[in-house]
Amino acid sequence: MGWEEKQVRGYPEFVQTAQRYHGRPIFALFCGDKDAEGRSWCPDCVTAEPVVRKELHNMPEESVFIYCLVGDRAYWKDPNNEFRKNLKLTGVPTLLKYGTPQKLVEEECFKAELVRMLFTED
Amino acid sequence: QEAAKYEKKVMVLDFVTPTPLGNSWGLGGTCVNVGCIPKKLMHQAALLGQALQDSRKFGWQFAEGVKHDWMTMTESVQNYIGSLNWGYRVALREKKVTYENAYGEFVGPHTIKATNKRGVEKLYTAERFLIATGERPRYLGIPGDKEYCISSDDLFSLPYCPGKTLVVGASYVALECAGFLAGLGLDVTVMVRSILLRGFDQDMANKIGEYMEEHGIRFIREFVPIKVEQIEEGTPGRLKVTAKSTKGNEIIEGEYNTVLVAIGRDACTRKIGLDKVGVKINEKTGKIPVNDEEQTNVPYIYAIGDILQDKLELTPVAIQAGRLLVKRLYAGGTSKCDYVNVPTTVFTPLEYGACGYSEEAAVEKFGEENIEVYHSHFWPLEWTVPSRDNNKCYAKIICNIRDNERVIGFHVLGPSAGEVTQGFAAAIKCGLTKEQLDSTIGIHPVCAEV
Repeated sequence: MGWEEKQVRGYPEFVQTAQRYHGRPIFALFCGDKDAEGRSWCPDCVTAEPVVRKELHNMPEESVFIYCLVGDRAYWKDPNNEFRKNLKLTGVPTLLKYGTPQKLVEEECFKAELVRMLFTED
Repeated sequence: QEAAKYEKKVMVLDFVTPTPLGNSWGLGGTCVNVGCIPKKLMHQAALLGQALQDSRKFGWQFAEGVKHDWMTMTESVQNYIGSLNWGYRVALREKKVTYENAYGEFVGPHTIKATNKRGVEKLYTAERFLIATGERPRYLGIPGDKEYCISSDDLFSLPYCPGKTLVVGASYVALECAGFLAGLGLDVTVMVRSILLRGFDQDMANKIGEYMEEHGIRFIREFVPIKVEQIEEGTPGRLKVTAKSTKGNEIIEGEYNTVLVAIGRDACTRKIGLDKVGVKINEKTGKIPVNDEEQTNVPYIYAIGDILQDKLELTPVAIQAGRLLVKRLYAGGTSKCDYVNVPTTVFTPLEYGACGYSEEAAVEKFGEENIEVYHSHFWPLEWTVPSRDNNKCYAKIICNIRDNERVIGFHVLGPSAGEVTQGFAAAIKCGLTKEQLDSTIGIHPVCAEV
């Protein structure tokens, strides 16, 4: 079956989607919103996305990859936003394995080796 | 990681042989997974319980009935440990250290065989080897021990509340675990064969025991278990423990939900092929003797940590020894690890911090007439309002009269003993004398001013 991708925006949509796939390995990449031309306000996210996408085939069978846009820069900078409060995210981009303490933050996401390790660790 | 800094090609082989009950864990060794880290967190959980009780006297109002949920605590602790395991994986990767989750054993000179959990074997050769395999809990060797008892390897991830618990042993592991289990509201009994905290200052050890007894932990002294049987299966089940006196023929029986064995730890050196490369070990204890540069009798094989003979079994000691060793090997360093005056803390309900000689060791080494002991009870200000014990906290220093009254032993029993002891350890390393201590003005109001 391989894996599938879901694209969501904002915290409630993220939670809903993650809950729907409970029981399957879920990986999520959180990035800043993209403008009309498709560019994110977060330069690190722009760098990380292609690196992560190249490694997606290493995810275990039945995995779900959730690509989540968190919001605009102002929303993200607010220390009380839901992603910071509930998911304990500290920066974007963040790539994590949902339901585990395994995650990669900011520059760690640029390294293909680390991304691969996250997808294949058990 | 230190060696990789100096551009050496490094590999780490880490493998956890599952406990008799099937438990295993991630990268990080004992301290991170089944030692210091979960222990301190659970000790903190127990302290918070006490703090909640005290808080009423300080004016906090809340409805009766503060209860503790084992699963919530254990999940949080395990989650934190998981993040540490992951952090180490990332750190090793970033520093280009190859990591294999495989069991390593020597098969010939400079050669090691690594077997992973699926049984796949690989051979590796290297210029140098560092053994840091640590220890695992010892079992009693009586009927029912491996089938029904748990050890510290199982306790911190136990998927159910242990309930009424019998702790067998009087090591710091035994007392710390008994301490926090009781602090969480469980019925705890400690079965002791002879003395408490062998190797520690006995005056302090007895005070710790007294405090625990006065706070609801039962001690059965001078008995050893001879049989453990299962009355009923369950999570937890019910176990019957039969014990015999060490001083006669008296037999007693008791029923418990859980039996925690904490009678000592054995070095993991017997099954790693040391004989194939000629590394000498102490046949009786399994420990490896090394010179003061952590080198075994085989020049290219080094060892650090709990497996060393006659050295302290503490995480920071192993870490320091490892770092300095690598600096000496690859960066022209000359410092050797200083094993003297290493501070330590026992996280029993009343914490005990120590650095240097115990009173007995000081008397033995310097002679009773040459040492002077200064001591004092104290009552932490924070304990006054809730009317907690006013004569339990205690501090003593041991001085060498012949050497300018130099402080050679520091012992404190009280809250945050670890934090207090750390600073004094640095002072002792600098050669603190009684006069200097006296002339240091105290911070008020804190326990440490004593």
